[in-house]
Amino acid sequence: MAAKKLRRAQLSQEMCERLSRYQITTCQDFLCLSLLELMKVTGQSYYEVQKLLCKVSRACAPKMQTAYEMKQRKSVNPSSAFLSTTLHSLDRVLRGGVPCGSLTEITSPPGCGKTQFCIMVSVLATLPVSMGGLDGAVIYIDTESAFSAERLVEIAANRFPAYFDSDEKLFCMTSSIHLYRELTCCSVLKRIMSLEEEIISKKVKLIVIDSVASVVRKEFDTKLQGNLAERSNFLTRGASVLKYLAEEFSIPVILTNQITTSLSSGPMIQADLVSPADDLSLSE
Amino acid sequence: MQREVGTLPLAPALRARLAAAGFQTAQELLDTGPCGLSKEIGISREEALEALQVVRQECQGDAARTAGESGATRRCTALELLEEEQTQGFIITFCSALDNILGGGVQLTKITEICGAPGVGKTQLCMQLAVDVQIPECFGGVAGEAVFIDTEGSFLVDRVVDIAAACVQHCHLIAEAQQEQDHRKALETFSLENILSHIYYFRCCDYIELLAQVYLLPEFLSEHSKVRLVVIDGIAFPFRHDFEDLSLRTRLLNGLAQQLIIIANDHKSAVVLTNQMTTRIGQSQSTLVPALGESWGHAATVRLIFHWDNSQRLATLYKSPSQKESTIAYHITSHGFRDVQPPAATHSAEGTERNPRKRPRTEEEEH
Repeated sequence: MAAKKLRRAQLSQEMCERLSRYQITTCQDFLCLSLLELMKVTGQSYYEVQKLLCKVSRACAPKMQTAYEMKQRKSVNPSSAFLSTTLHSLDRVLRGGVPCGSLTEITSPPGCGKTQFCIMVSVLATLPVSMGGLDGAVIYIDTESAFSAERLVEIAANRFPAYFDSDEKLFCMTSSIHLYRELTCCSVLKRIMSLEEEIISKKVKLIVIDSVASVVRKEFDTKLQGNLAERSNFLTRGASVLKYLAEEFSIPVILTNQITTSLSSGPMIQADLVSPADDLSLSE
Repeated sequence: MQREVGTLPLAPALRARLAAAGFQTAQELLDTGPCGLSKEIGISREEALEALQVVRQECQGDAARTAGESGATRRCTALELLEEEQTQGFIITFCSALDNILGGGVQLTKITEICGAPGVGKTQLCMQLAVDVQIPECFGGVAGEAVFIDTEGSFLVDRVVDIAAACVQHCHLIAEAQQEQDHRKALETFSLENILSHIYYFRCCDYIELLAQVYLLPEFLSEHSKVRLVVIDGIAFPFRHDFEDLSLRTRLLNGLAQQLIIIANDHKSAVVLTNQMTTRIGQSQSTLVPALGESWGHAATVRLIFHWDNSQRLATLYKSPSQKESTIAYHITSHGFRDVQPPAATHSAEGTERNPRKRPRTEEEEH
């Protein structure tokens, strides 16, 4: 929305040409200026500039919906709102399962089973809707090289022996799980940015990122002053793109996080306090 | 009429020409007339006429102001303000401890900011307020509608349905206990569908959409004049990434704050913003402070900070012009935002209450 060119915002041709002389070509450039600056660059009076602002804003602003319309839309298709994890008590607590359309974060100390959970959920997503799955492909972004294809096949064969009774079915399932190995923050971000087209072309119904914390902790040492801002920048950018993808395509996004110790200002005995690593930025 | 030409809201190029031609006051322009003006400074007659209309409009506004009428500047005595404040409604939060420390609830015409770590209940409170603003007047509410601007995507309709259902049920219980005619009439329109249809939801994905939406808000609010609450859930989120130029960010945020103050005053509505927390690395330790910097702290009139204490959620009133700093505990139940314990029965006999609109606190049948 921000990169929308002004001529698509229905400004007149001469106005667009005039503004482009000041390097103002997108709605973002236009809306970031104050009223006085706008008067100077457009050469219009105060009231005219306000009308122009309203015009450009209308081109960028989101559409209004009432909460009632949202509820109606949801109630039309209730079954697709969750991906059941097949663990009944977990599904009960989550009120149905992993929600579609939002980000879910899984956190634990090492060895508790985050990657195993991700692998299992990937299998579940490829199952047909009648069996509680989403009948779609999976994008699995692996930053720790912990994904094991053999384990994937083992889980599928043992969990659903009736469904995966032939090699062909297993082959079909494994070919719909797309694995990407990204080892730096930069490449993870680039991959996230490029997901939109892949989701449409491959009919993806689940995104798993395992794990965000490992790349962030490798590259950013929070004791150094400048790093906190860059780390927060990377995390919020990634989060906002993932949120957009989750909402736009109504698919679940699963992220895993690691545990770190939060040392309070008291004596070092309190070192067994644990809290998720990037709690402040990512889970918003 | 002695207004200088340089202060008129005309196009800058036009102003420059007028100054070069020697015009100094607005009166001179009006005396010259459109044809004379067009000949002297070399513009078309239509442009000259437009300019003169702008000048005339400005001068009329000035004259009204100097004559003491309420023009664009709001002038009134403190006594009038006091009377206005006393009759003004508050938006209750259903947590009476929180309402008490706020002085009755979330105030109209003021900006309230809620800061807190993730998961502490900011969005829950916003959803609660979006339902509570619609409570009819006979139950002590302001009977308004709500605008919900969401930048983080944490608005869940199902949760709002739960909160609204609990609120409707609560009002039914009060109506049964008090058996008044207008209660029953109000309850006919206070239903789940009505509540949901009067929450206007906008999903802004980046800061440009947020800026654009706030520019369009005054128009929207004049069309929907019953709106009494504007919630912006996540004012920090779109501004925390992709901003190499921090001075631009400060400028945009200040502009946003000013527009929100104008909206709050003109349309008599409460503006509620939620903010994130960030870590400030000090010498020996790091502390959690509200995000967006020090200068943003001046934008809100009332600041609430939500935080955890072991497993209890606490709310601290951090900044308020009329109430003192205090901390209370609150709960988030399946019905929404609530007190930790049910409020005491003595609340119903509050003689010190000057506000006739405040809902009398009867003994709540616990949900």
